[in-house]
Amino acid sequence: MSAFVIIYYAILLAVSCLAAYFNQRTIFLAAFSLTLVSFVLGIVGGVPALRFVAISAVVLGAAAMISFAFREFLIVLAPKELAKELRTAPLTAAFGMFVIFTYAVAAILAPWIAPYGEAQVVTSAFAPPDSNFLLGADQLGRDMFSRLVYGTRNSVGLALTATTAAFILGASAGLLAATKGGWLDQILGRIADVIMSIPSLIFALLMLSIFGPSVTVIICAVAIIYAPRVFRLTRAVAGNVVVMDYIEAAKLRGEGTFYLIRREILPNSTAPLIAEYGLEFCFVFLLVAGLSFLGLGIQPPTADWGSMVRENATLISFGEITPLIPAAAIALLTVGVNFVVDWMLFRSSGLKEQ
Amino acid sequence: MSKKDVLLKIRNLKIQGYSNETWVDIIKGVDLTLHRGEVMGLIGESGAGKSTIGAAAMGYARDGTRITEDSTIEFDGMELTTATEEERRALRGSRIAYVAQSAAASFNPAHKLIDQHTEAPLQYRIKKRMEAQEDAVDLYRRLRLPNPEEIGFRYPHQVSGGQLQRAMTAMAMSCRPDLIIFDEPTTALDVTTQIEVLAAIRDIVDQFNTAALYITHDLAVVAQMADTIKVLLKGEEVEEAPTAQMLDNPKEDYTKSLWAVRSFTSPQRYRPTDGTPPLISVKNVDASYTGGEKVLDDVSFDIYEGMTVAVVGESGSGKSTTARVITGLLPPSKGEVLFKGEPFPPDYRQRSREELRQCQMIYQMADTALNPKVRISEIIGRPAQFYSGLRGVKLKNRVDELLDLIELEPSQYYNRYPPELSGGQKQRIGIARALAAEPTFIVCDEVTSALDQLVAEGILRLLDRLQDELKLAYMFITHDLATVRSIADEVVVMQHGKVVEQGPKEEMFTPPHHPYTDLLLSSVPEMDPNWLTTLLEERGVDNVGDAALAQISPDDEKVAGTKV
Amino acid sequence: MGDILKLVGQRLGFGLGILLVISLIIFFMVELLPGDMAQAVLGQGATEENLAALRREMGLDRPALVRYFDWLGGAIFFDFGSSAITGERVSAVIGQRFMNTLFLAAYAAVIAVPIAITLGVLVALLRNTLFDRVANVATLTSISSPEFFLGYILILFFAVKWGMFPSIASLSSGMDFGELLYRTFLPALTLVLVVVAHMMRMTRAAIINLLASPYIEMARLKGVPPWRVIVRHALPNAWAPIINVVALNLAYLITGVVLVEVVFVYPGIGQALVDAVSKRDFPVVQACCLIFAATFILLNLAADVGSILTNPRLRHPK
Repeated sequence: MSAFVIIYYAILLAVSCLAAYFNQRTIFLAAFSLTLVSFVLGIVGGVPALRFVAISAVVLGAAAMISFAFREFLIVLAPKELAKELRTAPLTAAFGMFVIFTYAVAAILAPWIAPYGEAQVVTSAFAPPDSNFLLGADQLGRDMFSRLVYGTRNSVGLALTATTAAFILGASAGLLAATKGGWLDQILGRIADVIMSIPSLIFALLMLSIFGPSVTVIICAVAIIYAPRVFRLTRAVAGNVVVMDYIEAAKLRGEGTFYLIRREILPNSTAPLIAEYGLEFCFVFLLVAGLSFLGLGIQPPTADWGSMVRENATLISFGEITPLIPAAAIALLTVGVNFVVDWMLFRSSGLKEQ
Repeated sequence: MSKKDVLLKIRNLKIQGYSNETWVDIIKGVDLTLHRGEVMGLIGESGAGKSTIGAAAMGYARDGTRITEDSTIEFDGMELTTATEEERRALRGSRIAYVAQSAAASFNPAHKLIDQHTEAPLQYRIKKRMEAQEDAVDLYRRLRLPNPEEIGFRYPHQVSGGQLQRAMTAMAMSCRPDLIIFDEPTTALDVTTQIEVLAAIRDIVDQFNTAALYITHDLAVVAQMADTIKVLLKGEEVEEAPTAQMLDNPKEDYTKSLWAVRSFTSPQRYRPTDGTPPLISVKNVDASYTGGEKVLDDVSFDIYEGMTVAVVGESGSGKSTTARVITGLLPPSKGEVLFKGEPFPPDYRQRSREELRQCQMIYQMADTALNPKVRISEIIGRPAQFYSGLRGVKLKNRVDELLDLIELEPSQYYNRYPPELSGGQKQRIGIARALAAEPTFIVCDEVTSALDQLVAEGILRLLDRLQDELKLAYMFITHDLATVRSIADEVVVMQHGKVVEQGPKEEMFTPPHHPYTDLLLSSVPEMDPNWLTTLLEERGVDNVGDAALAQISPDDEKVAGTKV
Repeated sequence: MGDILKLVGQRLGFGLGILLVISLIIFFMVELLPGDMAQAVLGQGATEENLAALRREMGLDRPALVRYFDWLGGAIFFDFGSSAITGERVSAVIGQRFMNTLFLAAYAAVIAVPIAITLGVLVALLRNTLFDRVANVATLTSISSPEFFLGYILILFFAVKWGMFPSIASLSSGMDFGELLYRTFLPALTLVLVVVAHMMRMTRAAIINLLASPYIEMARLKGVPPWRVIVRHALPNAWAPIINVVALNLAYLITGVVLVEVVFVYPGIGQALVDAVSKRDFPVVQACCLIFAATFILLNLAADVGSILTNPRLRHPK
């Protein structure tokens, strides 16, 4: 029995007892179930397993605390209406917002945060982490941490641009189809059917093989692939608005299509459209990451998370986690955005039921 | 009939609903006592909490609601609030049954009617399958369903709405329960269909001496069905009394206001005799929706300046389609619409601004007729700006003037959004929007049917006043004959897309009528508790509802029929 | 029954039409190449004679429409011409690989579908409980992770640290079935993780949607026990949404497989596609794309037909 084990159990039991004494049901349940889980895993896996459980618990706890603090922070800063909304956000959504915030800071301030240049070779290949190189070096001896920070700009920037392009294309087509109806609606719907019948990754690969991997091609490909999805949703959302009597009243007044869309339809479809934007961003981000991982995304030496995973993949077989870090960065942002979107979707569907 | 034993005793019932992260009281301490074999009518406006009480009587709280712990619900000596879920469930279907508002949605589409009917008796092992099926057929026969032997073996979507509602009543009876909750069972039905369902329900409840809670917002209906009436308002009881006493002599002001028969009648106006052409003239119009059957068949009628024409008919009769043809939303396949003797372009997209301005619309559902994300000032101001080019101060003055016209204080409403207003206020805003265009003709599509009695009367008075002040012509689409009586100058009766009868109001309400008009007039429930009994005696049980409808053709001769 | 046959026929015709349009897109997009396929293969430095020779060899001197029908005619019999790089028959290159990919996808599906649907129904029944929330966070995390992230994590732990499974899914002929399952376990598990999460969420949504129907409340108010409400009242109406969920996710498996094959160096059609793309071997790219698209459309079609066949309103017309 190491000191670690004894102290660990002592803390857990103390917290459980205190929580039980002060009638804090949730805390007690959490602490005591953690004790039980540790007990079982400790017997099966020994001290390393226990250490793993302890670290996970601490990380989760820290994430919860950060999320809670960040939510309070936003509530204080936000205007009244928004603050009321924010109060309903679960911790997961707050965590998502915090992640998005961190990534935004990293992307904007990349040159000031990163200690070295993006493509600067500063040490030997695969140098292990030390105080100068937080995460070690990659296959050419470039600083992993710096490339990770710059990668925020490139990877997220590319995905954002591509999503926006897809969104503008799809949303305007959807709004137009819903407002105009008739043959335009039919034709756009059929085109969307065809494009959506090709698996997105396959379609992207086909386009990249023909036009070569460049940022412009990726953006165009993503816009074409994802616009139909946005189109369908916008068409459905706007379709629900278009049947309202106030639209009929405006049409009978003689209002033009643009006025109908801008003043009557858009204000009533913003909430689902924003959520959809987040959702689409996740899909696009994962697709673009997949393409870079296959070596068909942003070309070197520009730092990009997907290609960083690919370039360092060999390290995995030595038990190193270096290649997992950029992959984790991708996952973390997607999780964050998904958490926020999940909350927004829940809010908008919850409001409908009332 | 022994009505001594108390069957259901509810004391201090409080139900809370979860909204905006907090629990809000929906029912605020209601008491209720129901004896064996007694039928109690629960009435109130929408949001009064009638349905919630109905479900609570079965010990059931819908998702997102809860019954507070200090409430007591005692059914035949058993306390439901403290009973286990198992115990409560064992009562449902066997001793307390439920009849829902929409039978079409409440029958499972995947199973035959009779299988759903026999589910409860089989589960409680009250009957064997064959026995239960025979009993079902017997109940179907008692409820006067056509083809009782065979109808149970159909799927719900193969059966009409009125028949489904009776099949659901039969299903509720399958275990011979002590209590049935009827939750607005005829609200979704047409008046002519409603009659046969009401008659069937009343008979069967009588035959088996079943107690019932009859929930509705329709006073005339509850007067036919209930022994006692309890009036609810916003989750609280207003008063309770035996039906006759409640009708003759209500105590509370709120109840009196509900009971007040529509007192308002606008004076009859007549067509001009100097030969001026009608403002709107519908000439031999046929219309159908893309690829569908003919919805309108040779419809013709005229609307003169400053007059109100009420178009009456049941759902599917083509009244709203007629309005769509006039406004140009649905170009007719044959015939035309004339405006002051000149042809009106059939499609609204081909009409000039001036032509569009002449003809405005007010909708049934004020909720969907006003954009929730636009301020009142813009909703009313936009037509004024669009048609008359008003800007800045002039526009503001015009909006103020319009708000004055509809009796709303301009400064209070100018910057608000529609969801902040009550139903009646929203409907007034809808009227103001129509007036802002300075039209000569307004289509009013069931404008009062979503509103409570008193509010509706206020709207009718307002419309009548505006008509005189602004020389407006109205086309008033409605299924409510009381509204017709109070505001119409002329009446057009429609059935299956055809005009069966038209003429001045006073002629329409005196015989002889067309058989359909006669059926329609006689089917509207009246406050008299003996109305249904008298009617069934006069017409015979097989000469109401669908059975009677089936014998009528638009070309029939007029009959002497009912005096109204 | 006539209505059903008509609807099913319509859907099949529609699917066939889409497949045709897609074959057009796949074929003629390659025609958009700056220069042509021969140019792309030989590069900028190629001489005129070499180009002309290659064009003749690949049949590029004939009009595009003729070549399209030729290609389509061959494709129906799984003949996609020969590779532009190696000159091998495309069908020979991808034939076995396609079977391998199908095997991997089926392996994952067999594990994932029952688990996902059971868990999905369970989560729907226990909605708004702690279990539901934990499942929500877990599935969201899983669908947010790129396939290669999950794949490498599994390799790191199961292959490198604990040495339980091989990290490279190499196949050889004459392997027995158990060995095959063992070797392909990690790639299959990666796919399972992604697909289960998607499928669970969709199943949950479909069931919850259904439980809000008035006829479910009616069944409860009739005193029907909870399990019977699910089995007898919800399930017969849930087939259509569940079939759709399954088909949608199987289709997702088809694309997810590309990345997983690359991570585990699995000899499937996805890897062939990625190789061909980077080598610009267009006949192979076209063949792979067509096969993927056809599978995708077939699955969606099967879902449509399935939901038509299980719709009670259509099964028992008026």
